[in-house]
Amino acid sequence: MVNIMLKHTLKKLSLTAIILFGSASVFAEVVIVVHPSNSASIDAKSAQRIFLGKEKKFSTGKEAIPINQVAGTASRDAFDNGTLGRNSAQVSAYWSKLVFTGKGIPPKEVADDAAVIAIVSSNADAIGYVDSGAADASVKTIPLN
Amino acid sequence: MKNLSKTIVLLTSLGFGCAANAELRINGFANLVGGITSSDDTLYGYDDKISFSEDSLFAIQLSGDINDKMTATGQIVARGSEDYDPEFEWAYITYQATDNVSISAGRLRIPLFRYSSSLDVGYSYHWISPPQSVYDVTFNNLDGLRVDYSNYAGDWEYNIQLAAGTYENTTDVYKIEGRDTVALTAEAAYEFFKVRAVYGRAKTSIDVFGLEGAFAAFEQVLPTKLYNDLEAVDDTGVFLGLGLEYDTFDWFVSGEITSVDTEKSYIKEDIAYFLTAGLRIGKFTPSITYEVKESDDGVKFTDQISQLPAALQAQVIGVQAAFDDDEQAVTLGLRYDYATNVALKAEVTRYTDDLYENSDANLLRFAVNYIF
Repeated sequence: MVNIMLKHTLKKLSLTAIILFGSASVFAEVVIVVHPSNSASIDAKSAQRIFLGKEKKFSTGKEAIPINQVAGTASRDAFDNGTLGRNSAQVSAYWSKLVFTGKGIPPKEVADDAAVIAIVSSNADAIGYVDSGAADASVKTIPLN
Repeated sequence: MKNLSKTIVLLTSLGFGCAANAELRINGFANLVGGITSSDDTLYGYDDKISFSEDSLFAIQLSGDINDKMTATGQIVARGSEDYDPEFEWAYITYQATDNVSISAGRLRIPLFRYSSSLDVGYSYHWISPPQSVYDVTFNNLDGLRVDYSNYAGDWEYNIQLAAGTYENTTDVYKIEGRDTVALTAEAAYEFFKVRAVYGRAKTSIDVFGLEGAFAAFEQVLPTKLYNDLEAVDDTGVFLGLGLEYDTFDWFVSGEITSVDTEKSYIKEDIAYFLTAGLRIGKFTPSITYEVKESDDGVKFTDQISQLPAALQAQVIGVQAAFDDDEQAVTLGLRYDYATNVALKAEVTRYTDDLYENSDANLLRFAVNYIF
């Protein structure tokens, strides 16, 4: 009896592992990074609003400067699909609507995780996202889930 | 050359010339569209010989920050249908009064439709062009002011736009003017759902060159009241619009319905609507769109017309039919996201006209949309 139950649990566990690793292999896991001095409360929703140009300030009232990554990086794919809920082409179509109506300017784009960390660690107003493995002590990380 | 010097004067007056320290942003978009109809048919300017000029356009937008509250924006558009003659379609200054309120002044787009503001940016939507039955109105740009207010409450996002000013549009066929134009738009979005309502009004004058002779004759023979009721001079025109949208990013369905009515004129009320639905499968967006445009069937001013001699009655009723519409179209489309700034599209449209049967047509179009 115990044996059967154990088997069952093991089966369940391995299934969970497949689901977890299965989804992780589709997109990298990204985290939000801000300057260590930034005390604003940030979650997936507020990060989405800042990166879609709907919110221009942190909860502290300070100006938020989003730093995006160029299309095609693993972090950008994960952030667009996971946090913004659409692929990079749709994000670009969204911005084209705002740009050509004078309603917004898309975030500055940099080449990779390292470039995001370099800017965020030296600018108190910057906010970016990087692969969870790429963040170091020069920035404050905020998980998205 | 004249256009170029006009452009430079406008740019300078917008502050591009003097703000040497300001960052000048240059963006642009281009639509290259080719189309061909079934044999002997015509539709949206296309015929059965392939044409690239009807919907193609190239545009450049310049914008610069005058200070941290003010931005100047100018958009120069060269349309294939106008021999790529560049024209300043938009030129305005925006003042960001607060985080939620901005005020723009100059020449700007009237926010009549869901896609009004990005009408020319093919990349921003799934069609080659938005449904013409609804979007093909005679007025799009306004000289005046627009106040934008946007905010959110919980998961609801909303914005309100109030535009006021004048518009004028002259083509080969007509000249239309709108004085005291006011358009109020309210939009609300909740997760995947979006709703939008518009009320617009203008003192409208429409001069159709081909009907000038008829109206000159009417002025001689018709009672003054009927003549004044018929002619479209300084009459209140009303625009009403409602739009609904549900977009999960994996699939979407949306529709808009509009009414355009200038009551005290010979032009009947026009009702137009469309429904569209599509899927986003990786880089592909297949979609289907159904659109209808219908004018009111009734004859206007019948009490007054019934007192006229029979021959004259027929002419007055006839002129009211000048802009009658009763048409439908179904479009199957496919968008392919080639890159994050290039989309390729193909569309087949079946158009049927219940008033003029030989206007029925099939149209095949393909497009490259580019933004930079």
